[in-house]
Amino acid sequence: MSEATASRPVPKPSVYVDTTPFWEGAKRKELFLQYCKDTGRFQHYPRPVSIYTGSRNLEWRQVSGRGTVYANTVIRIPGPGLEGRLPLSVVTVDLEEGARILANIVGSPPEDVKIGAAVEVVWDLLADDIYYPAFRLV
Amino acid sequence: MAKSDIVIAGYAETPVQFRSGRSAYDFAGEALAQLIERTGIEKSAIDGMSVTVPLSECANPFFAVYMAEGLGLSPTWLNYGGIGGCSATGGVSRAMSAIRDGHCEVAVVMSADAPSTRWNANYAAYRGEFQDPVGVQGPPAVFGLLMSRYAHQYNLKPEALAKIAITQRNHALLNENALEKFRKPLSEEDYFNSRMVADPLRVLDSVMFCDGANAFLVMTRQKAEEMGIKKYVYPTAYAELTNVNGADPLADITETGFSKIAPKVFAQSGLKPSDISMFQPYDDFTIAVLMKFEDFGFCGRGEGSDFVLNTDLSFRGTLPLNTGGGQISAGQPGLASGGLNLAEAVRQLFGEGGERQIKNPKNALVTGIGVIPFARNWGTSAAMILEV
Repeated sequence: MSEATASRPVPKPSVYVDTTPFWEGAKRKELFLQYCKDTGRFQHYPRPVSIYTGSRNLEWRQVSGRGTVYANTVIRIPGPGLEGRLPLSVVTVDLEEGARILANIVGSPPEDVKIGAAVEVVWDLLADDIYYPAFRLV
Repeated sequence: MAKSDIVIAGYAETPVQFRSGRSAYDFAGEALAQLIERTGIEKSAIDGMSVTVPLSECANPFFAVYMAEGLGLSPTWLNYGGIGGCSATGGVSRAMSAIRDGHCEVAVVMSADAPSTRWNANYAAYRGEFQDPVGVQGPPAVFGLLMSRYAHQYNLKPEALAKIAITQRNHALLNENALEKFRKPLSEEDYFNSRMVADPLRVLDSVMFCDGANAFLVMTRQKAEEMGIKKYVYPTAYAELTNVNGADPLADITETGFSKIAPKVFAQSGLKPSDISMFQPYDDFTIAVLMKFEDFGFCGRGEGSDFVLNTDLSFRGTLPLNTGGGQISAGQPGLASGGLNLAEAVRQLFGEGGERQIKNPKNALVTGIGVIPFARNWGTSAAMILEV
């Protein structure tokens, strides 16, 4: 569950919508999310339209990566791709920019993670040069 | 809404089995044969069908048409219901509309699935990029998140969840259709000793995918009488909602679709929570049951734990809960699941509950839940009230 485990499946990008900016940002360890230009609001996961207006007037912008834990669980049962990752801390984080992201907490025992805790983005190494956002307690 | 002229005039349910080795078609055939035998109707009288999209066969986009062919039916109205555990009550509601519009006269609402034998679903979409890498592979983790948030905002007492599990297990002991494995008593100690799956969610808070089928016959009351059918119930209210708060990424996930549709079904039926004879809520996880007591106004928001602990939820009690054991203790027949709660409601209202029969029930409140979305509560909420 940290950068030491570099054997995780690498997702195929742009399956649902074009997510190139997310993955390009991840290479630079920068978190890019979809942004509705009409309302000035972010959304995650990325959608084919703005969930606020239904328009496609969308772009990608970098976010701070700072937020707070909204909900918190610990996965304890095995499954595909979870080898060596259990117990696995899974949370939703409310980002400062107003989007909620599903993510892992790394670098702390799962029992130390509490709702309301301040977190910031860190980058999990999935494979050579492929990073995925996770969070750590700050 | 006054009593409609359209009724559920028959039901059928197969036993729930685990890894049966059988197909959804085969279970559907068993349900149809049982339905014909119970009601005495001719197969040729069926001219409408709603089919639930099953996990085990959904790679075939023409499953509903194949089902009609397999069962030898020639419907003039065919609906393929893709709202998961809401597809049974939703199918009944849609069949009622079709009958009113003159598309058919006698509709069968068929839900059959066998995911513990064959898994044929791929949710695809955003999951590969934004859910799978996090290790969230299914409903338990999302419900663990939901439970954690509920517990953060309100008072969640694990002993209340244990009581839901134990009450429903006691009912499953009296249900010959319940999965054989679950037909043994459960203690509070068993509950607290059960394995943590996704904190604070335990194994005994959860359903297990199984195989099975159920079917319902929908027609006008007049048609039922013409066909010599003596037992029927009136669906007097139905409402559903998909993707509650869908344009609010920071929505309170403890606010569910049921809080929005509950006032609608009470308004349509003219009933209030204290009038309800039995509650047959969709029970994929115990927390969903607990939250629905609140959403339907049996108690206030956040008071679910105390309500459960202070209420007799047995079939003899003041608010009988999932009197067939629900999905948690009878087994979840894939996406035919919503019909399990509905079948028990119809069975009880027909007075066919056997050892677990509720005394003189007047009505039933049934709910459905469909699919787990991205880090929220659930995709579709549906509720139906049936009256004698």
